[in-house]
Amino acid sequence: MRKSFAELNYYEMLDIRPDAAAFEIRQAYDAALQIYQPGSLVSHSFFTDAERREILSLVEKAYRTLIQDQLRKAYDDELVRRGELDAVRETAPAVKKPVGIFSISRGRGRQPAGPNPESLKNRILQSARIRELTGRPALSGEDLKQIREELDVTLEEISQATKIRQDHLINIEEDCFARLPAAVFLKGFVKSYLKYLCLKPAEELAARYMETFARLSQSQRAEENK
Amino acid sequence: MAHIWPIGGGKGGSGKSFITSSLGRLSAGLGRRTLVIDLDLGAANLHTLVGVPYPSKSFSDFLQKKVTRLDDTVVETPFENLFLISGAQDPFDIANLPYEQKIKALRAIMRLDYACILLDLGAGTSFNTLDFFLLSQNGIFITTPEPTSIENVYRLIRSVYFRRIRYCFSVSQFKALEEEAIEQFGEGAFNKPECMMKVIERDHPESYRELQNDFNAFRFRLVINQLHKRDNAVLGLHICRIIEKHMGLGIEFTGNVSYDDHVHDAICQQVSFLDRYPYTKTAGELRAVGRQIFQPAGRQLMLQYV
Ligand SMILES: Nc1ncnc2c1ncn2[C@@H]1O[C@H](COP(=O)(O)OP(=O)(O)O)[C@@H](O)[C@H]1O
Ligand SMILES: [Mg+2]
Repeated sequence: MRKSFAELNYYEMLDIRPDAAAFEIRQAYDAALQIYQPGSLVSHSFFTDAERREILSLVEKAYRTLIQDQLRKAYDDELVRRGELDAVRETAPAVKKPVGIFSISRGRGRQPAGPNPESLKNRILQSARIRELTGRPALSGEDLKQIREELDVTLEEISQATKIRQDHLINIEEDCFARLPAAVFLKGFVKSYLKYLCLKPAEELAARYMETFARLSQSQRAEENK
Repeated sequence: MAHIWPIGGGKGGSGKSFITSSLGRLSAGLGRRTLVIDLDLGAANLHTLVGVPYPSKSFSDFLQKKVTRLDDTVVETPFENLFLISGAQDPFDIANLPYEQKIKALRAIMRLDYACILLDLGAGTSFNTLDFFLLSQNGIFITTPEPTSIENVYRLIRSVYFRRIRYCFSVSQFKALEEEAIEQFGEGAFNKPECMMKVIERDHPESYRELQNDFNAFRFRLVINQLHKRDNAVLGLHICRIIEKHMGLGIEFTGNVSYDDHVHDAICQQVSFLDRYPYTKTAGELRAVGRQIFQPAGRQLMLQYV
């Protein structure tokens, strides 16, 4: 039987990897609140009030433990003792890009075979639609989505290869500006996305996306304040 | 053997028939002989969505023994490779189908010779609907981003789960399991299949293994239909996450399909939305959902219950 929520370890509760950086822990916590808070659409009718309270208090505890280096270290040691973590972290939690130092032992991986870069490049060359979308002065999330769909690549695939959480990718493609991560992360995410799709030059396209993003999110805010 | 895709969930009007007809068109467009079956017998309307406003035959001709083979109730559609068994003017409600008839229908569907069969099951959770759902492990759930619709999807998934458990036990055993689950986990356990599974794990390890194997093989999918610009785009992802985490069932978020007034226009004009408005965001998303569902045409294990 899969474990019940209370039996999961804190990383599993928050759906993050054991080498998650602090910003990822914070985001995962926000996502968990979105899911479990009273009044959340996602868990509507799913839990009784008592169950919801219990889950929220566990989520809170998980967050408070993992976000403090000292507590996290002690918790990781405990997991290693229980045989739930493969190796001991040797460096402090990465500040920027997380590196896969260890992983949860019972991870169940459904690894899709990634696309062949050659065939992607071919398709990019042959697609008039992609040429049109990447040839414009602006590049929105919706454009990215169209390009990806044209290339027949799934978000799940990109998420697994780039380790960017799928909810970020969806919010990027849907231009949900309010839910996007801070600009420094966003640009990195978009660059990884572009690279995975073999779109070149990734740096320039990512910059164009960021300009478009800045412009669109500003006008959206103006709209809302009207 | 045909790949069978049961489609259900949400509430009436969430777009099950629209999605079924669109997926049917996409599958047929791949050159595969595709059959869509309207089993939402109380509210049949799939025929209109696939361009057959007045079907000459229907599912009930088979149930009423007007024809002997289910295959004889199939009608052509204007689209190449796309066929239909209509539920129009059916005097039956699938919920009230007598047992013998149901078994006969289930068997007949499994014997049909098509590359792809899509079942429009409607929103109900009667035992009969659940049995049709369990014809294959590839159920597709459709919901809109509204609490009422989401609630229905959760109810349906739990009912399917319970129904599968029920196959392993006699009526009295099942009753005993229910009581035991409530005893152990409290009143809230009565609608929680995952609680019952804990009891089964302890008391019937053999059946537990069988069920667990089966559940691991399920590949449910979720589509969020009629998403508006303001809605939370990761809702579907999060729904799948709580189903996996808290029910222990694997379910994959297959995608969002945006709300678009052109859907209504196409239906009113009785033309195919995908043909009439191929460049809308919604059409692009439908194609993406179709690709995800039909592309990796992996092996399908049929469940031999019947
Ligand atoms: N993506 C969509 N955008 C706009 N309207 C939609 C969409 N999907 C469905 N609809 C509308 O909802 C109505 C009900 O859809 P239908 O497929 O008959 O629902 P169900 O079979 O679940 O009862 C349709 O007539 C159509 O007008
Ligand atoms: Mg319908």
